[in-house]
Amino acid sequence: MIREDLREKRLFFDGGMGTLLQEKGLKAGELPEIWNLEHSEEVISIHQAYIEAGSDIILTNTFGANALKFHDGVYSLEEITKTAVAHGKEAVRRSAGGRNVYVALDVGPTGKLLKPMGDLAFEEAYEAFREVMQYGEEAGADLIHIETMSDTYEIKAAVLAAKENTNLPVFVTAVFDERKKLLTGADVPAFVSLLEGLRVDALGINCGMGPEQMIPILEELQRYSSTPVIVKPNAGLPKQRDGETVFDVEPDAFAQTMRKIAGSGAAVIGGCCGTTPEHIRAMTAVCLEIPYEPAGKKNLTMVSSYGKTVIFGEESKIIGERINPTGKKKFKQALVERDMDYILREGIRQEDNGAHILDVNVGLPDIDEVSMMKEAVTALQGVTSLPLQIDTVDPRAMEEALRVYNGKPMVNSVSGKQESMDAVFPLIQKYGGVVVGLTLDETGIPETADGRVEIAERILKEAEKYGIEKKDIVIDVLAMTVSSEPQGAIVTLEALRRVRRELGVHTVLGVSNISFGLPFRPVINANFYTLALYNGLSAGIINPSSEDMMQSYDAYHALMGLDENCSRYVAKYGAKAAAQKEAAQREAAQKAMTQETAKSLGNAVPGGEKGAEMLSGELTLKTAIERGLKEEAPQMADALLKTEQPLEIINTYLIPALDHVGKGFEEGTVFLPQLLMSADAAKAAFEVLKVKIASEESGTEKKEKIILATVKGDIHDIGKNIVKVLLENYSFDVIDLGKDVAPELILQTAKEQEVRLVGLSALMTTTVASMEETIRLLKKELPECKIMVGGAVLNQEYADMIGADFYGKDAMKSVYYAQELLK
Amino acid sequence: MLETGNKEMLKREAVRYLGYGRHAVDEQTSALIDRSFSDLQSVVNRKSIYRFFDLEWIDPEHVCFGNVHVTSKSLGRNLRGCEKIVLFGATLGIGVDQLIRRKSLTDMADAVVLQACAAALLEEYCDMCQETIAEELRSGGYFLRPRFSPGYGDFSMEHQKSVMQILDCAKTIGLTMTDSYMMSPTKSVTAVIGAGTSDIRCHTKGCEACEKQDCIYRRNTT
Repeated sequence: MIREDLREKRLFFDGGMGTLLQEKGLKAGELPEIWNLEHSEEVISIHQAYIEAGSDIILTNTFGANALKFHDGVYSLEEITKTAVAHGKEAVRRSAGGRNVYVALDVGPTGKLLKPMGDLAFEEAYEAFREVMQYGEEAGADLIHIETMSDTYEIKAAVLAAKENTNLPVFVTAVFDERKKLLTGADVPAFVSLLEGLRVDALGINCGMGPEQMIPILEELQRYSSTPVIVKPNAGLPKQRDGETVFDVEPDAFAQTMRKIAGSGAAVIGGCCGTTPEHIRAMTAVCLEIPYEPAGKKNLTMVSSYGKTVIFGEESKIIGERINPTGKKKFKQALVERDMDYILREGIRQEDNGAHILDVNVGLPDIDEVSMMKEAVTALQGVTSLPLQIDTVDPRAMEEALRVYNGKPMVNSVSGKQESMDAVFPLIQKYGGVVVGLTLDETGIPETADGRVEIAERILKEAEKYGIEKKDIVIDVLAMTVSSEPQGAIVTLEALRRVRRELGVHTVLGVSNISFGLPFRPVINANFYTLALYNGLSAGIINPSSEDMMQSYDAYHALMGLDENCSRYVAKYGAKAAAQKEAAQREAAQKAMTQETAKSLGNAVPGGEKGAEMLSGELTLKTAIERGLKEEAPQMADALLKTEQPLEIINTYLIPALDHVGKGFEEGTVFLPQLLMSADAAKAAFEVLKVKIASEESGTEKKEKIILATVKGDIHDIGKNIVKVLLENYSFDVIDLGKDVAPELILQTAKEQEVRLVGLSALMTTTVASMEETIRLLKKELPECKIMVGGAVLNQEYADMIGADFYGKDAMKSVYYAQELLK
Repeated sequence: MLETGNKEMLKREAVRYLGYGRHAVDEQTSALIDRSFSDLQSVVNRKSIYRFFDLEWIDPEHVCFGNVHVTSKSLGRNLRGCEKIVLFGATLGIGVDQLIRRKSLTDMADAVVLQACAAALLEEYCDMCQETIAEELRSGGYFLRPRFSPGYGDFSMEHQKSVMQILDCAKTIGLTMTDSYMMSPTKSVTAVIGAGTSDIRCHTKGCEACEKQDCIYRRNTT
């Protein structure tokens, strides 16, 4: 019923509950929800006052009622929730006088931050919401209003809980700040994309600020939202007076601004903290006459992450293709070993090189793709704010990834095959997403552009049945290899042009397929990419680390007037040109001088001191590592490879340099940042040598495994990460279990991997208990395994007390202990 | 842009957090510190909140404010002579954690330096907030004591929960706590600040007040 209402008229919410309860005697620190049972009449009378003031929707007194907050109280969550809804309905019975007034189950945030930043698992948040929502529906609530949210991920858990466990309409509002963002980083389009993907009935803003300050956010919401917008401000900006928070916008002033807000198109309006029935009465009085117009369709193709939104448009987008094992030996190995860091670094590198979206494909025949996909998506969204493209043919992996994804993803892909559409579209319908439609069907890939356009049309039509709009489909007309199909490129380009112009949908293309079987592929790829861009490619799936491709991209946008004043081009290539010039000068200088003269010139040589040292040969690999020169160290390692064997290089330069720095650290002449810079430089050099070693020898030497983990309950991992970097330098194989790790997982891994040393880290007294528990379990089940511990609150005495074998006062001490024990 | 006070002082604090003690910082680390402060500019989202309460003394080691009772020798000492108490919460926001997390994967030196710089920024921000609170209270004839956080001395960590609940930190400034009392975002502070009518000049705060004399991060007070 409320859904029909939203199409026809503006609806009025109620105002604040907390302040009114306080006036009636609620004390600071007392839980307002308890009042549903202990002070029923007071609660009902507040509802009545709002109904009489003109509210069409009243919110139950259940803001903090969720399974996390009410698990061991005097009253059960069920009692609290059901009574709250009953009070709302009773107030309607008493005061609505035949008018339609809806009782909305009020659902506030859990007050906890979700993983990876906090310690609440997505599924736990979901469960906490599910319970209260089910009670709410059972008690007869008319809708669910999820409000005062600060985190898109928590919002997603709440909306899924509502959608999967009830049939009620869902409204969602969040707290934006003056930067027009949520506390956890989402901007307005990211918030809108996520919620429209999940198909909520209305969305908007509440709390945090007064009506005046909400106007810019409302404008932004209306720019992106095709869904009715809710605005529920406080009675002004919160002010501190004598240490208390007060709101000082009076009812009339409040109403006047709300009038403006209604006039600019807000569909559901009401008040939050500090607003009273008087505010609502004044508001409804002046807003009733304002004509109502439902939100218009925006037709924007948007994908989002927790903190970024990518909107398809004239400028083409870059989808990074590197997170994909196809044809990549190292990536395959990383997948098999579940080396998540490798995958994450691949993601960060692409972001740094200019990708807008990251494709994520972790399918390998011999791994569990469902769990791997879930893990990869979760981990990636913890380190990059780029939207992800979930790339899999397994519908189960697709669903798991869609579920845990914090935003509105791209999904790669659906095809014109009925079976594919039957499997994929329901998932898009449920979770939201922009899906890539491949122009192939049961008969294969059509040879003509006509054939591909026809399949694209069929995909769009089928999608419509699920309510999936054109804006949420992007078409891939497929690039065929020109070496085997002479007309391949021409047909693809024509299909691209027509899909874009005739069907009016956006397009993607895996660009580099075009050059299979040809020599020097980058030439073909880059030129085909330019042609594709010119023919309407909205997003190319490419390797952003490929300079040729990026040059095509940058040049195209500069040439086509899509890079204003060529400013991006100039910024990027201006710096490059300068660097090239300098390098050329240095080379000339090098030619002109003998090593001796170079030495005497010192700083005068282009490139400064380092340049001079490199020329003179004074900067050896050893000194480069000692000084932590991350750029130079691998170059020097590479140069040395011309004359020396990799193992020789490691033993003559790398290890002595690390020992030297480590000793300095112990003696207090080298400090932590320097120690780590050296470690990073050594690692970079080692990467170069490793390639050579791998190509020459069949099997490398077997490394000792060490488990590192931050104990359960502890979310600080910087100390553990420092130890990890250093241990890896000394060629230990570190199994990093991350932070907040359960004792059982540590034990299980130690058993499976036959690990002889476990390193545990804990930051606070509160988590040392969990360290002790882990040690106890390991000692009992795996007595031969040694345990070293470290962390801010620990000392030798404490470590002895909890039964650790070794206390690592600093990172180097842990390395020495590991060496002594395992080598 | 962040409004920050003394850049040199901030940097000095960061260097101290990195364990340099009395040693001069090397050129490379110094450059890295400068870069880290500028990287932090774009991700820091500072928020704070405070509320005053009357302080009730049960005995010199047992105080009460709102519905919270605290028994603590060190807090009692810190609040001696106070009639009011300010509950305070502040955070640099979740963006800092995200940046450090990302750097931990690609460049550990960067991560460690960012961590130290963020700690320095947070302390400075708390000092600035405290200055504002002090001004507000001064008009009523009250003077502030150094801020004191749950976990200092024998002031139990568990009181962090009450402080955060009363300030409604999750909602007001986006500050939450894990089951093991860790704050998230990590670059955050909760504290109480005593206020009394006598202007006791008290220079020792945080670091110097700590009993751990041999700490390598200890501020150089001589």
